[in-house]
Amino acid sequence: MNQQEGYADDIVKGFVIWSMVWGLVAVLVGVFISFQIAFPQLNFPPYLTYGRLRPIHTNAGIFGWGIGSFMAFFIYITQRLTRTSLWSPGLAKAQLWLFNIVIALAAVTLAMGMNRSKEYAELEWPVASLVVVLWVIFAVNIVMTIVKRREEQMYISLWYILATLVGVAVLYLVNNAAIPVSLTKSYSAYAGANDANVQWWYGHNAVAMVLTTPPLAIFYYFLPKATGVPIYSHRMSVVAFWSLIFMYLWTGAHHLLWAPVPDWVQTLAMGFSVMLIAPSWAAVFNGYFSMNGQWHQMRENYLVKFLIFGITFYGMQTLQGPSQSIRTFSAFIHFTDWVPGHVHMGTLGWVSLVLFAAIYYTIPRLYHTEIYSIPLANVHFWLVLTGQLIFSITMWIAGVQQAAMLNATNPDGSLHYSFIETMVELYPYWHMRALGGVIYLAGLLVFLYNIYQTINGGKTQAAAQRA
Amino acid sequence: MDSASIYYLGVTLILFLVFAAIVARTYSRKHREKGEEPKFRMMDDDKPTDENKGGRDVRRK
Repeated sequence: MNQQEGYADDIVKGFVIWSMVWGLVAVLVGVFISFQIAFPQLNFPPYLTYGRLRPIHTNAGIFGWGIGSFMAFFIYITQRLTRTSLWSPGLAKAQLWLFNIVIALAAVTLAMGMNRSKEYAELEWPVASLVVVLWVIFAVNIVMTIVKRREEQMYISLWYILATLVGVAVLYLVNNAAIPVSLTKSYSAYAGANDANVQWWYGHNAVAMVLTTPPLAIFYYFLPKATGVPIYSHRMSVVAFWSLIFMYLWTGAHHLLWAPVPDWVQTLAMGFSVMLIAPSWAAVFNGYFSMNGQWHQMRENYLVKFLIFGITFYGMQTLQGPSQSIRTFSAFIHFTDWVPGHVHMGTLGWVSLVLFAAIYYTIPRLYHTEIYSIPLANVHFWLVLTGQLIFSITMWIAGVQQAAMLNATNPDGSLHYSFIETMVELYPYWHMRALGGVIYLAGLLVFLYNIYQTINGGKTQAAAQRA
Repeated sequence: MDSASIYYLGVTLILFLVFAAIVARTYSRKHREKGEEPKFRMMDDDKPTDENKGGRDVRRK
């Protein structure tokens, strides 16, 4: 435990460092598979094929980088907002070990082809069981810390943290219910359309409880810390939180529009998806209004730039997502490259920008030093922003072209283009996407170098003080 | 309308009322000051020590 501050912060350092390692793995694999699509000869069966590497990319990104960072900042934030130290630092240390074991096992088993064929729930039952143990350890530690808090009221970040802990537990347990037939194979407990419905109830709410509520908890904590000014309205954030919680869990079936699930389920999902614009934009407006009189910090404070661009991408994401959930629009862009463009605006634009800001804020404080280089942080910002925009915009354009070609018909009703013709037209976009990925990777490497030097500087100063 | 539909409708109405109650309480005049208090108190949470708790210690004294 870091006794100087009175908080158990050493464990936060561990989670931050390991999440950055897995983040690098995710982006490296992501860039490689983008090249595999542009240049299919880069597929090397059986292990280094797109089919094996793509789930490694998503699992390393969402669970290694995302969940790893969220664990770090949940521990960091919860202690501070409750003004008490972590309930059990020992348990958190075990959690860090188990977290890395799980992510490493995920990478190995997915490379070997052990896959449940459920998106974002690919891990076979032995690894999935370890995930459950990991989450229980994490949840108990955070909840117990909140229970022994020294603050009467809970700041909005704590509500989002609690929602994440409960939400992920429910989603993961239900969707991973399976009947094992061997150590490496299991079958879903659900069948047919029910299985698809449960999967996308899970799949879309993984977006809610992993890629929305945790970054919002982090955003609401670090924006006022970075600007030095409280958020615009705590009450608005509370109402937005409960609106989001009431609405989100109904939206999953918008992934199954035009599929053989009941029509009313699809319509319900569509309706709630559009309604979600309200709570999502309440958070965006809260962020923007918090900047009243502080907009000059966008020029002067690199942390604010990451956070405000992050919440802006969240706003765009939460307009684009509901639009895509409308039947007619979905019929056009579903199963096209539009979708990865949308997803990466959320993961690279929203989640990662907020996490970068949180890491830039906390690492110097945890190591009692200053950030190594603000100019490098600015270079990092522009590189990741450029890379992400190239990725997303090219994929949106590619998706529209692909959709138009797939939907084009001759006067007799037959398809105008063959499927392969639509694919061939996409190559230029895939080349540009790979380029965007390389630029993003360059930005990430600048970030990692900056953080490495900051940590080194902190350790050197600490050693000098001891001497 | 079968019993399952009545049950679902009931649950939906109850959830809606719960949500309406949360909104009403959050924006009530009585709760106004208290509702905004956490955003100020979180600004000085860097040290949890007894000398610098930053405010009331309402639990675990």
